[in-house]
Amino acid sequence: MIGLSAVSAPAVRPVSSPSRLTDGTIALLNLQAQIDGLEGPGTCAEAATLIDLLILRGLILGRISDYERAAQLADRLVRDAVSDAAAYMARARTHAVFHRFSEALDDLDHADRISPQDTLAKHERAGILQALGRYDEALAAYEEAADRRGQFEQAGALAGLWADCGETDAAERAYLESLRSYRGVSPFPLALLDFQLGTMWMRHGRLDQARTCLEAAIRRVSAFAAAQGHLAEVEAELGDPETAIARLYPLAAASDDPDYAAQLARILGEMGRNDEASGWCRLAADRYDALTTDYPEAFADHAAEFWLSAGNDPEKALRLARLNIRVRSTPRARDLLAQALDAKTAGAASARCFGVQLTQRAANQLEGEIPWTRK
Amino acid sequence: MSDHFSGPRALSDPAADISDVFAFPAPDSPQHLVLVMDVFGRSGPTAVFSDAIIYRFRIRPVELAATGPEAAFVPSKSEFTFDCTFDVPSGRTDSGRPVQRGRCVTPGGRIISFRADDENGGGDDGVQVFAGQRSEPFFLDPRMIEKTVATGKLSFKPNGSNTLYGTNILAIVIKLEWRKVLGGGPLFAIVCETLTASKRPVRIERVGRPEIKNVTLSWKQFDQINKDLEIRDLYNSEDAFGVKSDYFDAYRARFNANLAFYDGLDGKIDWPLDAHGNHPLTKLLLADFLVIDASKPFAETSYFDIERSMRAGRAHATPGGRWLNEDIIDFLLTLYVNGGNGPPVNDGVDGPITWSSKTFPYLAPRNPAKAVAA
Repeated sequence: MIGLSAVSAPAVRPVSSPSRLTDGTIALLNLQAQIDGLEGPGTCAEAATLIDLLILRGLILGRISDYERAAQLADRLVRDAVSDAAAYMARARTHAVFHRFSEALDDLDHADRISPQDTLAKHERAGILQALGRYDEALAAYEEAADRRGQFEQAGALAGLWADCGETDAAERAYLESLRSYRGVSPFPLALLDFQLGTMWMRHGRLDQARTCLEAAIRRVSAFAAAQGHLAEVEAELGDPETAIARLYPLAAASDDPDYAAQLARILGEMGRNDEASGWCRLAADRYDALTTDYPEAFADHAAEFWLSAGNDPEKALRLARLNIRVRSTPRARDLLAQALDAKTAGAASARCFGVQLTQRAANQLEGEIPWTRK
Repeated sequence: MSDHFSGPRALSDPAADISDVFAFPAPDSPQHLVLVMDVFGRSGPTAVFSDAIIYRFRIRPVELAATGPEAAFVPSKSEFTFDCTFDVPSGRTDSGRPVQRGRCVTPGGRIISFRADDENGGGDDGVQVFAGQRSEPFFLDPRMIEKTVATGKLSFKPNGSNTLYGTNILAIVIKLEWRKVLGGGPLFAIVCETLTASKRPVRIERVGRPEIKNVTLSWKQFDQINKDLEIRDLYNSEDAFGVKSDYFDAYRARFNANLAFYDGLDGKIDWPLDAHGNHPLTKLLLADFLVIDASKPFAETSYFDIERSMRAGRAHATPGGRWLNEDIIDFLLTLYVNGGNGPPVNDGVDGPITWSSKTFPYLAPRNPAKAVAA
């Protein structure tokens, strides 16, 4: 269950943008049109753009198949354009999507050697360091790239970094600065920002704020699958599971990402609708098994969360949580491992929760699991 | 697609990215002037106009301020604008295209409504408007232009590779009876812009002349003053009829440097710089609008004819402006490299997949969707 924070929530911040944005439906049609237009033979820059657009669509629509296609194209691009830094940068991005962070950093090293002045590679590196939980290095890298990036991009990146660090005030300030400095009309950058802040509030149990941010993301791009999915989680925790279920059904049925089926199974199970839950649970389990076979690093965390909740297999959850923390030692990864240890030790599946207080037993075990947590 | 991807900010919304601007006397009706704005190069079948953008055509009567080496235009302070805006699409046509409605506000304040992709468009007293997806009229071999710049040698092949072959754009076409709808003339300066559709519209992009931002301005390496500056977003944000003094010298330096690079490609200097280091074309190109004489009959190849005639101190014979089928890249390369004093420079690409026609809406119908590469 999502725990409500003891801290009283301040007034919900405005999340409107300074200027009118392209309607989300149009933006999605045009994203599709961009992708279609770039298919087929093209320059290295065009192929790199196509890869970026596929990743964006994957992110918005929750389509793993788009990420897979982007990764295939990136591999081919590097084969075809071995001396082009853009090819390595594109592949670094696809590696990062699949949490293959060391390969991503290798590709960025390669891009750096080819084009040492390129600040885009520095910004990409910052994002990967952030994903790895190396926040001080990420901050330094963002600052190094700052003078060549727009104010919006820089503030947006810092909002994400502070959110991951748990520095909510700094994250919110950067978010508002980013909103203020946005001069574009595409709704995607702002929807992603809203989503980023919304997930931060979820992790901190500040559900009203999370809902406000996620609803803002959905107002900008109604088809934003991850925002819909997270909003459903929040709605369920705020006592409106029916709305959450209605929101999740179409996502769970259409998406190749099992997260939605997993959430649906969990919420239905919590409501005692076990027959309905079991079908979605089987679907999620099969899909997570397939994905953790093909892309273990990328799906270890979400799969572990599933096996800790609706999947009810603490053994499997612990194995995946351990894999996840080997990939990246972030606070979230440590929380997940602690929950998995706790669930395994308790011999029962504990519900997934954000901001959960670790039991002393789990905390002690965590010290044993992760040497660098020892004092 | 001479201005496609002309600056990082333009990439944020493809429907705001102006690829080309054309202006020509209507081949089928001499009393009409035709203005065309293309956006969203390489657009797939689902492409539509943004509902958050004003697609603006700006037209000013213009006078010749000087001829000879100091040739220059003086645009009038009075301006005529056509603002086109679009709704969120509702439904799909039988061919799968989203159904989108739009409207165009004329200089007189009348509103012309139309449905996108309807070849008849919408019309009102002296004005006809079309908007929709059409075949890309522009053609070039961009890889060999890049190679030419990278190697410092003309690298074009007899049979070039047109990467835009068979692609589509979104186009807005306005056909207007110029004596009735506009004031002044017959010389007009034309600029197209995309702006945010907010209370205080912000210019996203502007285009007048072809290939100013990409072929002419994008290369940084020859500019010894601002070698690291991505100048195109700054340039886009300027008012074409009133470039601010803040960055004027930066633009001028980039023009001077890059035009001098092109001039040297054939091993001889056809455009000697003046005592201040200015290239003879810089001043005219910095006046970045299409100039057209609406009183002249249609001509197939007339881009820059007014400017060349001004420099030569003679009267122009053609309408200037820019017709859809003109081989602009060959023209510009020849102009920049030898000023017409040498053999024509040919990029090896001499046409699009389908030529534009001489009847409204002029641009060829859109091409079928490409098969996805395996």
